[in-house]
Amino acid sequence: MIPSESQTSLERLPAGVARSLPLWEIASVITSCLIAEWAVLVFVGRSKLVMAIPITLAFALMLFSHRERGETSRDLGLRTDNFLTSFRLLLLPTLLAVFLIIAFGWSTSHGSFGALWRWRFAALPLWALFQQYVLNGFINRRAQMALGAGWKSIALVAIVFSILHLPSPTLALLTLLAGAVWAFVYQRAPNLYALALSHTAVSLTLALTVSPHWLNGLRVGFKYFG
Amino acid sequence: MKLPSTNLVHVLIGKSILETLFVGSLAVIAFLSVLPPYFHGWGEVANDGIAGWAVDNGSPWERVEVQLFIDGKFFGTAVANRPRPDVSAAGWALDEWHGYSFITNSLNAGPHEARVYALRNSGNATRKSLQLLGTPMPFIVGADGKLQPLSPAKGRDK
Repeated sequence: MIPSESQTSLERLPAGVARSLPLWEIASVITSCLIAEWAVLVFVGRSKLVMAIPITLAFALMLFSHRERGETSRDLGLRTDNFLTSFRLLLLPTLLAVFLIIAFGWSTSHGSFGALWRWRFAALPLWALFQQYVLNGFINRRAQMALGAGWKSIALVAIVFSILHLPSPTLALLTLLAGAVWAFVYQRAPNLYALALSHTAVSLTLALTVSPHWLNGLRVGFKYFG
Repeated sequence: MKLPSTNLVHVLIGKSILETLFVGSLAVIAFLSVLPPYFHGWGEVANDGIAGWAVDNGSPWERVEVQLFIDGKFFGTAVANRPRPDVSAAGWALDEWHGYSFITNSLNAGPHEARVYALRNSGNATRKSLQLLGTPMPFIVGADGKLQPLSPAKGRDK
């Protein structure tokens, strides 16, 4: 069957276009996140409905891209067979991060944490899974398509994760380090559940032990200033 | 994993266009909400201060809050609710209570510049914006403390 014009394979496109397409996809998703974090808050305020527009566009693009590339949920890391492998790789860095965060929180709060449990923390595992899906299930995979597995794609994932947490300097630094570790582990054993578990442990420890003075209530984007 | 079709390129281009339109629309809506083109007003240099009128045609029965800045520094705030029958007679307002007046007897002798702004609250008073009413007013304070208007060109020359 002759493919229609609109369904031409990318093999027919110039090689440069096909190679840079995954980077374009990454840039497009980052743009949507930055629009939600910055432009919507600046222009409209905290309207969840308006904020949902760029997020929906990004989500639609990611789903379409998975379909176009024939990626299954198992490919993305929504699987259980390699959970233990991924968990083992994550255990030491996660425990180390949790220990360092507790030590930092303890020393900067002069021996008393004082942070209270909030019910919104209960949604943290789901939020962490969503973030890991975007960061590794989509961005890491596209980064590997463009730059290959290894330090270049890991660095790209970490930098993207850090940019999305600006302008909070503490979060930008933490997410740069955490993003690199999670991207490394994902390239060894792609399992989003294990990554979400590690993400939840680190985020929860941060929220409960580090003073809001250092993290500004984990706010990012324009909300950081409000 | 298969190679994607050119549909992915089309989707990426379409998404970029949609996002550009989205951000552009947000910017226009925000601009019109923060700085709506409804405010009218004017200011003049009087002997003892700055006086004028201000009307919000979007809410013509409301009194506009105005702020005076002299030499770029905040001087004071007032509500434009003093009688100005000439303003309503000229058709600028529905009633005459839109005048304001600032007494500026604490200024040093010499040239100065006054600007009067209408204060607008938007976004449930989370945003405040200032809209210049009329034009900047250059003036000079004499040794007797009285204000004399300067033409803009004269003011710049000094």
